[in-house]
Amino acid sequence: MIEAINLTKVYSGTKVLDIKDLKIGKGEAFGLVGNNGAGKTTFFRLILDLIKADTGMVLSNGKNVKGLNDWKYYTGSHLDDGFLIDFLSPEEYFEFVADVHKLSKGDLEEFYINFKDFFNNEILDKKKYIRDFSSGNKQKIGIAAALMAKPEIVILDEPFNSLDPTTQIRLKNLLNKLKEEKQLSMLISSHDLNHITEVCNRIVILEKGKIVQDKPTNENTLKELTEYFAV
Amino acid sequence: MIYKLLIIHQLKESKRSSFWQKQIALNIVIGFFILLMLLYLLVLGLFIDKILGELYPNDNPIDIFNGIIIYYFGMELMLRFMIQALPTINIESYLHLPIKKTAIVHYLNLRSLLAIGNYLPLLVFIPFAFKVLLPHYSGFVAFIWILSMFFIALANNYLAIYIKRQMTSKPMITGIAAITLIIFILLDYFKIISVTSVSRYLFNALIVHTIWIIIPVLLLIFNYLLNFYFLKTKLYTEELSQKKEEISNTSKAFQYLKHYGHTGQLILKDIKLIWRHKRTRSIVYMAPLFLGYGLLLYNQEIYMSRNGFLIFIGIFMTGGMMLNYLNYVFSYESGHFDFVLSNYKDFDKYLEQKFIFAIAIATISYIITIPYVLYGFKILFINTMTWLYNIGVLSYLLLFTATFSSKRMDLSKAATFNYQGLGATHWLSILPFFLMPLLVYLPFSLLDYPIGGFIVIGTMGFLGLTFHKPIMKMLNKQFVKKKYNMASGFRQNN
Repeated sequence: MIEAINLTKVYSGTKVLDIKDLKIGKGEAFGLVGNNGAGKTTFFRLILDLIKADTGMVLSNGKNVKGLNDWKYYTGSHLDDGFLIDFLSPEEYFEFVADVHKLSKGDLEEFYINFKDFFNNEILDKKKYIRDFSSGNKQKIGIAAALMAKPEIVILDEPFNSLDPTTQIRLKNLLNKLKEEKQLSMLISSHDLNHITEVCNRIVILEKGKIVQDKPTNENTLKELTEYFAV
Repeated sequence: MIYKLLIIHQLKESKRSSFWQKQIALNIVIGFFILLMLLYLLVLGLFIDKILGELYPNDNPIDIFNGIIIYYFGMELMLRFMIQALPTINIESYLHLPIKKTAIVHYLNLRSLLAIGNYLPLLVFIPFAFKVLLPHYSGFVAFIWILSMFFIALANNYLAIYIKRQMTSKPMITGIAAITLIIFILLDYFKIISVTSVSRYLFNALIVHTIWIIIPVLLLIFNYLLNFYFLKTKLYTEELSQKKEEISNTSKAFQYLKHYGHTGQLILKDIKLIWRHKRTRSIVYMAPLFLGYGLLLYNQEIYMSRNGFLIFIGIFMTGGMMLNYLNYVFSYESGHFDFVLSNYKDFDKYLEQKFIFAIAIATISYIITIPYVLYGFKILFINTMTWLYNIGVLSYLLLFTATFSSKRMDLSKAATFNYQGLGATHWLSILPFFLMPLLVYLPFSLLDYPIGGFIVIGTMGFLGLTFHKPIMKMLNKQFVKKKYNMASGFRQNN
């Protein structure tokens, strides 16, 4: 589904990302771990054509994402608050996202039913704007919006951050369900080694922009990862 | 010393901001204008006695000068309000540190003393005191007089800042100030009271009894404290973050836009954006200011005979509000620009929406100005032509230049410390677009065929609209080229 070829990004003289060749297949749950500044967000932004690569390219379904809009039809994403329209109420925002993705009223209602548990009565009918929600609830709104159009690829940057424990578990279950039922390809980054090993079936470690490890998940993965980062 | 640290931080902040680095050319232009103004004022100051002698050969120049001082300060107040940038500081980074709150406030207040506007009038006042006052009065009187003028200028500075600060938190106060000013102008105009003689009386008294310098001093202290207490109460993070607002119903009136498909939805979202942020809302409140220009100017014979001036006013009235929208059309969305880039499939439609909304604003402005036809059919004709120019030329130009502004505009930040784009740079960068039609008109004026000039201005707009499709295609290309640059700028905090 997604392929990065010779992808590099340079910020003020330093290579912050340098990926020779990376393929992420359909239905794969791809986990990205790495310390701050390893290049996780940069990689995601490149996939979403939000920044310009210095060399190389990202292919989505075989087509270069740069300049094309095809991938937007099947890619959902939430990286940070910049993906929320914070002066709208959650309902208005969802309605707007639905319109952008050309979803019908029925689709939107189905979405509300599917995400009822995930929202945990904290999002809808609150009569406030998104900017007035806590960061955890903002995160929920963003993730839900990313999944709304039933994308084939979803890209989430540290989705477990600032979520409460209940929602973290619900999110894990939701992602696992989508992976199995809909063959959803997921690209997730996280600092929480526990969560990411539970959700992803392939873990890549980035260090200073380079892939230093790329392994399928098994029962030893968590231990290995912990050892790797315990320096 | 805390003040020293704050000054160092601010110098670093402004030096390191991408805005400053990118706008060097613009800053040079502004520097040039300031220099030009300095020169003008200096010349005015040096020849003030001669000028007054020429204009009013029979009157005492001191009387005349003292009579107009109050007008001068009134003008200065308005100019300061419009041009002078407010001293700001990123307050949240200091509040949790063991720094006295009053120190921060004093620092902010004292910083405005550096504004160049405070010292410009001295260029006129000092030569005047030397050349006109000194021959008749003692050096001490002249000195006190200069000092008083300086104190009034400073008091004016703080008054302007106070009104400007209130504009975003309590627009009422700004409104009251504007109305007071207008009342005084009207009272003077209809000769009910004579502002001139009041001014003359007050400032002559100052020369006779130097003790009256106490009034400017008290005024300065009062205005300073006004700002001091205003800022002091605002120095809580709670106050800084915008108050939680109930979902507003105002935008409900526009819900029908939803039925106009994707473009309707996008316009509805822009209306919400404008209405739900104080900063943008206060621009809407400024609409009467733009549209009411005609009331002030069409009355006066000297303006009515100057076609170039009428063209300028026409563009300003029918295009002013559109300009406010388009100038920062992408920056307004800096908070969710990544969403725009990663979700909108069709930037053509996105830009089309911006264009449609912009010309709708211009057209509404135009319709509101139609009653000016009472001042003559010529006014309506000129305004129609300039409206065409605005929607067919200015609109595209502004969309184009908007792609260059990559400064984050944090609309949800507290209004009190957030005044991006309210200064002189904002107006200066787009001045050429306003001057272009005048340039087009000039040859027709010289040939004494003004009507041809008006028609050409309107035709330019008409042509622009005819080539709408290819122009939009170009704009789309420009947008796609610049989007990375904009997005990275919008992601930067400050």
